[in-house]
Amino acid sequence: MRTEQIGDATAADAALPIALRSISKSFAGIKVVSDVSFDMRPGEVHALMGENGAGKSTLIKVMAGLYQPDEGQILVNGAPIRFPSPKDAHAAGIATVHQELLLFPELTVAENIFLGQTPKTALGTIDWTTMRRRARELLDELDSGDLDIDQKVAHLSVGNRQRIEIARALAQDARVLIMDEPTAALAEHDVQRLMSIVRNLRKRGVAIVYVSHRMPEIFALADRVTVLRDGHLVATKPISEVDEPTLVSMMVGRAIDRLYPAKQGTDGDVILELDGVSHRGVVRDISFRLRRGEILGLAGLVGSGRTETALTIFGITPATKGQILIDCQPVTITSPEAARDLGIAYIPEDRANQGLIRPQSVEDNIALANLKRLTRGIFVDAVRVTAEARSAIQRFGIRARGPEQPVRQLSGGNQQKVVLGKWLATNPRILIMDEPTRGIDVGAKAEIHQLMRKLAGEGMAILMISSELPEVLGMSDRVLVMNGGRIVGEFDKDHATAEAVGTVMTRSMTREDAA
Amino acid sequence: MTAAKLFRHETILAILTVIAMIVLASLSDKFFTVDNLLNQGRLMAEVGLISLAMTFVIVTGGIDLSVGSILGLTAILLGVFWKNLGLPLPAAIVLAMACGTFAGWVNGLIITRFNVPPLIATLATLALYRGLAEGISEARSVRGYPEWFFFFGQGEVLGVPFQLWVLGFATLVAAVILGLTPFGRATYAIGANEVAARFSGIRVNATKLWIYTAAGFCSALAAVIFVSRVTTTRSDMGTGLELDAITAVVLGGTSIFGGRGTIIGTALGLILIQALKNGLALSGVKGDGTIVVIGLVLIGAILVGALFDKNRGG
Repeated sequence: MRTEQIGDATAADAALPIALRSISKSFAGIKVVSDVSFDMRPGEVHALMGENGAGKSTLIKVMAGLYQPDEGQILVNGAPIRFPSPKDAHAAGIATVHQELLLFPELTVAENIFLGQTPKTALGTIDWTTMRRRARELLDELDSGDLDIDQKVAHLSVGNRQRIEIARALAQDARVLIMDEPTAALAEHDVQRLMSIVRNLRKRGVAIVYVSHRMPEIFALADRVTVLRDGHLVATKPISEVDEPTLVSMMVGRAIDRLYPAKQGTDGDVILELDGVSHRGVVRDISFRLRRGEILGLAGLVGSGRTETALTIFGITPATKGQILIDCQPVTITSPEAARDLGIAYIPEDRANQGLIRPQSVEDNIALANLKRLTRGIFVDAVRVTAEARSAIQRFGIRARGPEQPVRQLSGGNQQKVVLGKWLATNPRILIMDEPTRGIDVGAKAEIHQLMRKLAGEGMAILMISSELPEVLGMSDRVLVMNGGRIVGEFDKDHATAEAVGTVMTRSMTREDAA
Repeated sequence: MTAAKLFRHETILAILTVIAMIVLASLSDKFFTVDNLLNQGRLMAEVGLISLAMTFVIVTGGIDLSVGSILGLTAILLGVFWKNLGLPLPAAIVLAMACGTFAGWVNGLIITRFNVPPLIATLATLALYRGLAEGISEARSVRGYPEWFFFFGQGEVLGVPFQLWVLGFATLVAAVILGLTPFGRATYAIGANEVAARFSGIRVNATKLWIYTAAGFCSALAAVIFVSRVTTTRSDMGTGLELDAITAVVLGGTSIFGGRGTIIGTALGLILIQALKNGLALSGVKGDGTIVVIGLVLIGAILVGALFDKNRGG
């Protein structure tokens, strides 16, 4: 526990690796960051929180030298400084681990770590020996001795790539490390590993700006937390002075009554049944039943076959064995359009690549899955396309300028609502949601959870895949656990506890490994 | 996709075309005459037809390099079916066009079924179809077509060249399909993000197969008009035509990366190129000079387009 200091004293400022004083930044006349002060102490983990659009990304980019503040001052070790480019921020010891990892897939691990600052021999050629040795040392310090430094990055997992980015920051002698949603794309065991790396870095005196939506991580790691809302600073507090509900209400500006809405109504008839469904080696002998009005959670580690099962039901990777039944009638689903026509909707996990056509407008995206219905004669009915988009914007509270705004300009939560709007407009009876709230802020997350409950209450059958155990446990009426392409456990609501589900997930994994 | 955004590039292009017309008219008094303009329309019909299909191809993010070879192959088959196999000429025309359309369908099949990048697939068929054309023709040309056949390439309806009517009608159909139908929406979606299009239940492969087949059909149609216009059939017909078509499409504002482009843009691009070629020639500029000017105009148009695109994104 550190003692709280008042940041006004210049003597104290001198020890701060970076301090922002009254920073403001506008884009096209809109103030996205307004009069925000923020500082980092050596060896602390400082969580930066706020809903999407609160100004976190902008603030980070100001620190990283990507944006120039309109007003305010940046101090490094108490001295005012300007970062005309990211290079200048690097020179001042500030490094960023990006959300979308910026590595070169065709280069090796060692080459990526030292890109731009490659050790040279006296002749000016690359000093491979030194480079490989130092890469090895850096990774060892990060408890990542298992990483092969000569391997191409293309074949590595997200977790491993992230460790390489961190090693790259360390190679630059970073004193401040900005981590933007570092766990958003990680599997559970990688999250644990990352957290121990962060603790390790803190011990070495590195100051870590930690941006995340995930509460458990914040409380496990952070020393202080700063909350932004609508571009303004709400407060900076030691973590010991806040609890989860306080943080949430600080972020959204109102209290969110309960995180997971209660079940409404009872389950109806079985609508979807899988009987021994397989796809190559990735989906193995899957059998389950899904009822109307039920939310069935599909838990498991990344790569356990959850998404692959969804893709098989949706016709992207058609079943090679087994039988899918809808309303007790056997069906053959060989394409997404066939699945859609049978009343199946799939909200994909990769919003940017699979869910949306980002350069296109909100209305074009929503129309895309509904073209048949929105066509009169041979023409797409442009009036109805716009009307449909307007009603989706209203129904889901999508914050957009209008139906014609390109979706790439929307925040993550609003983009997800566009995907939902698109698929709910097809009037599905079976809704498969793959990581429905990944990378989405608390407010939008609660809205999506409420919507799921409402849809289920109206008789929709929902199959939900999530890597967030609390979400699986909170939302599901029943939980299936997958591993190695198989279903290895089933729990009803009363028996689905974190311990029980987690145990089955890990135990079954070791059994798989042994097999 | 509002009209305002779509028409930005097209507006610039239209203004550019008008300016070019005025300048060219002032350079030569033979340029801006009804006879000359209609004759130029006649000359651009073949590239024009192919450019329309090429617009669809490029909007999906693909490319079709084999269109010139398909034209050559269709032309040769037309001659061979009629002269060597002794089929009646109408039957020979239909059969040759069916073969050209089939050649386009084969392109589509290679691209969709075997996931070969369009550039590679059509580079291969560019050589394949041209090779077939040369092999079948054995370096001999076919002449002596009956008089009625020349109507397609030389005839007039209401004082306007026949093929200009065909081109006008085809342009209208293409503009309607790309701009107003579900098929057009699918075409844009595939070009902008093929994966998301597939995940949205768009029949990606079927759409692409139709488009490459249509490119084959347009090339075949252009072949018939071409043969009728020049009254003979040779195996090297249409060589390099693919580049003229791509130039018109890209000048028209269609993104080579897919997802953006319009038929109106392509039509304007086509008119601008033809006007420059003809006008500069009439003004006494040598052939090489004309090519240089077209190259410069293309680069200029793309730079201006990129500038607007930047403003739009920011």
